[in-house]
Amino acid sequence: MSDTQDHNALPDDELLAAEYALGVLEGTERAAAARLMQRDPRFAAMVAAWDERLTPWTAEIAEVLPPPQVWEAISAALPGESQPQTGLWQSLAFWRGFALASALAAACLAVVIYVGSISGSQPLVATIESGGHRTFVATIDTKRGTVAVVPAAFTADATRVPELWLIPADGKPRPLGLLRADRAVTITLPADLAALAKSSVVLAVSLEPPGGSPTGLPTGPVIGSGKLTSL
Amino acid sequence: MDIDANRELITAALTRIPAGDRAALQTVYRLTSAKLFGVALRILGERSDAEDVLQEVYMTVWRKAADFDPSRASPMTWLIAIARNRAIDRLRASRQSRRMEPIEQASEIADVAPGADRMLTSMETHARLHGCLDRLAPHERSALRGAFFDGNTYEDLAARMSVPLGTMKSWIRRAMIKLKACLEQ
Repeated sequence: MSDTQDHNALPDDELLAAEYALGVLEGTERAAAARLMQRDPRFAAMVAAWDERLTPWTAEIAEVLPPPQVWEAISAALPGESQPQTGLWQSLAFWRGFALASALAAACLAVVIYVGSISGSQPLVATIESGGHRTFVATIDTKRGTVAVVPAAFTADATRVPELWLIPADGKPRPLGLLRADRAVTITLPADLAALAKSSVVLAVSLEPPGGSPTGLPTGPVIGSGKLTSL
Repeated sequence: MDIDANRELITAALTRIPAGDRAALQTVYRLTSAKLFGVALRILGERSDAEDVLQEVYMTVWRKAADFDPSRASPMTWLIAIARNRAIDRLRASRQSRRMEPIEQASEIADVAPGADRMLTSMETHARLHGCLDRLAPHERSALRGAFFDGNTYEDLAARMSVPLGTMKSWIRRAMIKLKACLEQ
């Protein structure tokens, strides 16, 4: 092709890498480039370099919050242990009942009996509140390394989502995950954070943009906090 | 500061995934899915397609996280490349780019004002890329934009800009050479 004459500045393989990264290839050419990436680390590095050059352009693309069922589908498709999320533990009606009953002690006692009966582990409970207004109740199953968070009196905000934070002795908030106003959420704690979850450590909830805090630290108002108590 | 903190959070979570850490994948998802969904949606145009692609992207991340080398790539670049490629694969499978209206070279419009995603892309690298894109001829810039944002093929672009296929290939290749030279200055 005559049109290749005046751009010899890029060798053929790098040209292919650029075309692949830009996304203009199709059919057998695109498939060939994808295969080459798998077996030729030098070519893969060229594509990665082009990705690095072009990706800043995506700053022009607005973030869009995907619907929750996408994560649910991913989570269900992952191999390995899935957390048993059945029965009372996940039943919103069950937990709503507790939320309505103002006697937290009774709820905690029930949790002790319930959790104790299924796992024999030592749960930690935190009532997340602000000015006496209880928003969530969190229970950490230390054996399984999960935290179950139940909405008490929290009303959803159309533009912001509640995010749970663990604030250990060093005072630095660690993001645990997004919560829901309409149902209980069970989050698996990463091992390093599970080790930090101890009595007297603080859990807090802040309101964040959809998708969670963009900075890894709370950016919105903290709507409640509470210390973990060993039962 | 924000960018560095997020980069570290995402990198740390990515490095835990090969050991089978589901919570690590959830962390990556929480920090990055809104951006990747935006990217897939921009290319595909249909929410249901973009949702399917997003699911494929994180399953790919789950399987291939060991391939991510933090010393060589930024985690967002790595993730966005997976999302773009998955979206383009889906677009190619449907045989038709979503956007095929003629490109008027005079009417270049940025999709969204940048600034919303301070977590992901440094404004500095964006400004640098833009500076170099601005130095391209308008037709070259339009062609690159159609490929990058609309997932257009050479043939799509030739049709949209009413030029022969060979001319389009020549434009894009020349533009990529200039872009690289400019970014390396």
